[in-house]
Amino acid sequence: MTDRRAGRPRSLARRLVVLAAGWSLAVLVVAGFAMTHQFQKAALNRFDRDLSELREGLFSQAMIDPDGGVSIPDSIDQRAQRSLSGKYWQVDTLLANGSFEPEVRSRSLDEYLLAPPPRSMPIKPGKPVFYDTQGPLNKPLRVTAYLGKLEEDAQRRTLVFMAAEDRSPLDSDARRFAYTAATALVILMMGLIAAIIVQVRIGLEPLFALSRDVAKVRKGETDQVTGEYPSEIAPLADELNALLAHNQEVVERQRTHVGNLAHALKTPLSVMLAESQAQPGALAEVVNRQALAMQGHVEHHLRRARAAARSQGQRERTQLSPVIDELARTLERIFQDKGVVIDWDAPDDVFFQGEKQDLLEIVGNVMENACKWARRHVRVVAAEAGPRRLIVTIEDDGPGLPPGQREAVLKRGERLDELTPGSGLGLSIVEELAKAYEGSIRLEAASLGGLQVTITLPRAET
Amino acid sequence: MRVLIVEDDPDLSRQLKLALADAGYAVDHAPDGEEAQFLGETEPYDAIVLDLGLPKVDGVSVLERWRRENVATPVLILTARGAWSEKVAGFDAGADDYLTKPFHTEELLARLRALLRRTAGHAAATLSCGELRLDPKAARASVGGEPLRLTSLEYRLLHYLMMHQGRVISRTELVEHLYDQDFDRDSNTIEVFIGRLRKKIGPDRIETVRGLGYRLVALEGEAAGS
Repeated sequence: MTDRRAGRPRSLARRLVVLAAGWSLAVLVVAGFAMTHQFQKAALNRFDRDLSELREGLFSQAMIDPDGGVSIPDSIDQRAQRSLSGKYWQVDTLLANGSFEPEVRSRSLDEYLLAPPPRSMPIKPGKPVFYDTQGPLNKPLRVTAYLGKLEEDAQRRTLVFMAAEDRSPLDSDARRFAYTAATALVILMMGLIAAIIVQVRIGLEPLFALSRDVAKVRKGETDQVTGEYPSEIAPLADELNALLAHNQEVVERQRTHVGNLAHALKTPLSVMLAESQAQPGALAEVVNRQALAMQGHVEHHLRRARAAARSQGQRERTQLSPVIDELARTLERIFQDKGVVIDWDAPDDVFFQGEKQDLLEIVGNVMENACKWARRHVRVVAAEAGPRRLIVTIEDDGPGLPPGQREAVLKRGERLDELTPGSGLGLSIVEELAKAYEGSIRLEAASLGGLQVTITLPRAET
Repeated sequence: MRVLIVEDDPDLSRQLKLALADAGYAVDHAPDGEEAQFLGETEPYDAIVLDLGLPKVDGVSVLERWRRENVATPVLILTARGAWSEKVAGFDAGADDYLTKPFHTEELLARLRALLRRTAGHAAATLSCGELRLDPKAARASVGGEPLRLTSLEYRLLHYLMMHQGRVISRTELVEHLYDQDFDRDSNTIEVFIGRLRKKIGPDRIETVRGLGYRLVALEGEAAGS
């Protein structure tokens, strides 16, 4: 809840995916840049090495003409002979004032001149420099220059040997590499994220399984969290089970306490009632009235205690047919003087979603009522009714109830004096219990002639 | 008529003793489970009024032991515990009637009278078929000494089958003997009852003879009975 308000990621899965995706994105971006950079460096090194070869060739093959000019044999580089081919060379003289005077240059340069090394890159004898500049047709050029003197040069000129090449193929190679690398990395990235999502799903599956199991406990299909869990979650499942058991135990204990208290009061109440009824008088009358009131309270709170325990008991499920069998046997004994015969039918695979005690109370009271009013015959039929519902129909062959009175019968129990044993129909208790289970009870005329009570209750999934 | 009252509350015991003595019964009293156990097994009572919440041994255990020891005395349970689960447990332990506190003394006396009248009437021999026993006097049946828990229609069905054991009995015959005249009869329900009875007494004791009906037999190795 607080998470939601603070806007932090609520989903564990999302958190794991975002973290892993963020990290791998960072790694891939860095790797991409590093690779591209490394590639460019390697390619440039190679390029520079080729240029250095030409430059060294210039230095080693340069000759002084008889007229004192510098000459380079045409054979030094084939490409440099074709006009604007992209491969160039040039030899300058470095004058004392620091300016450069061109001596000779390759044919490919046509009327263009190579720019000498910039001032920012001072050139020293014996140490070649590399720089970028613009060449013919505004093409980017890579240039290497070397400062040297020729032995046979009578003028002892300081010569600058420059070799240059159009570097745009190099740049486009680097760009293509960067594109390819980026595409590959994006695909890799997406694959990684997909793999992470799958991994998180599979990794968290035991948690989802646990939550499904807990839901089962709540629905009453099981009373413990069962199933095999990995060692990280198994302690949680064990703790959950311990908590469930503890809860159950506490509720049971409370219920027993309340029950014991209420039942303990019944014997003294019996004595007071019998005693006060045996000796007429003003005092006896007051005692009798108050004892009856106390009895009402005891019954009321016993029912309340059971209802409170019920919210805990939702996870229990009770097979219907043994309960009806038990009740039929018991009631036939209770009503054996009358010779009531109970004919029942219930499928074995119908389960009530709730406690056995409550089912006994609900169906028992209605069946007892039917036996009370029946001449000879009571029929009980149970069946499932649609998804998650079951119905129990109880008919008798007694006098029945006119339609107008049926509503009133359910309300009668609300008055205390109707709660004494043997009076009233006990159906109000049944309705109260059934409603606590979101069930209902309906009164109709029975095909056997008497009253038919239809009880609808929640059914547990089988 | 001699009646045993098992009740631990002294005031209630006194009241009950007075009321029963006034009604003409000879009354003994046991204040706890142990004494009740002993008196019930040694003295020939005509009826027993039994409280369930007793010191030393609880009422249901006392009753179960009496029934195991073949004490057939009719027992009326008188208890504060009125939930159906408790009533069912009481009758399953072998009770003949059940009254919840608080109660009216007149009602207790009426129930006791009915109980005594009921047990006086019957007199019939015990039927047996192998391990299966049926006592028409107490309307009880057992398999190998374990009491069977039968509804009255199941009991009637078993009774009829035992009286005619070894013979094939058709469904129509069963329907006619099982139900009263004013029952609406449906021979299909016989199958339901046979199925339920088989579950309680063991599946092989009732044979289905196709097209003819059913037959009750002793299992192999058991001696067939009367």
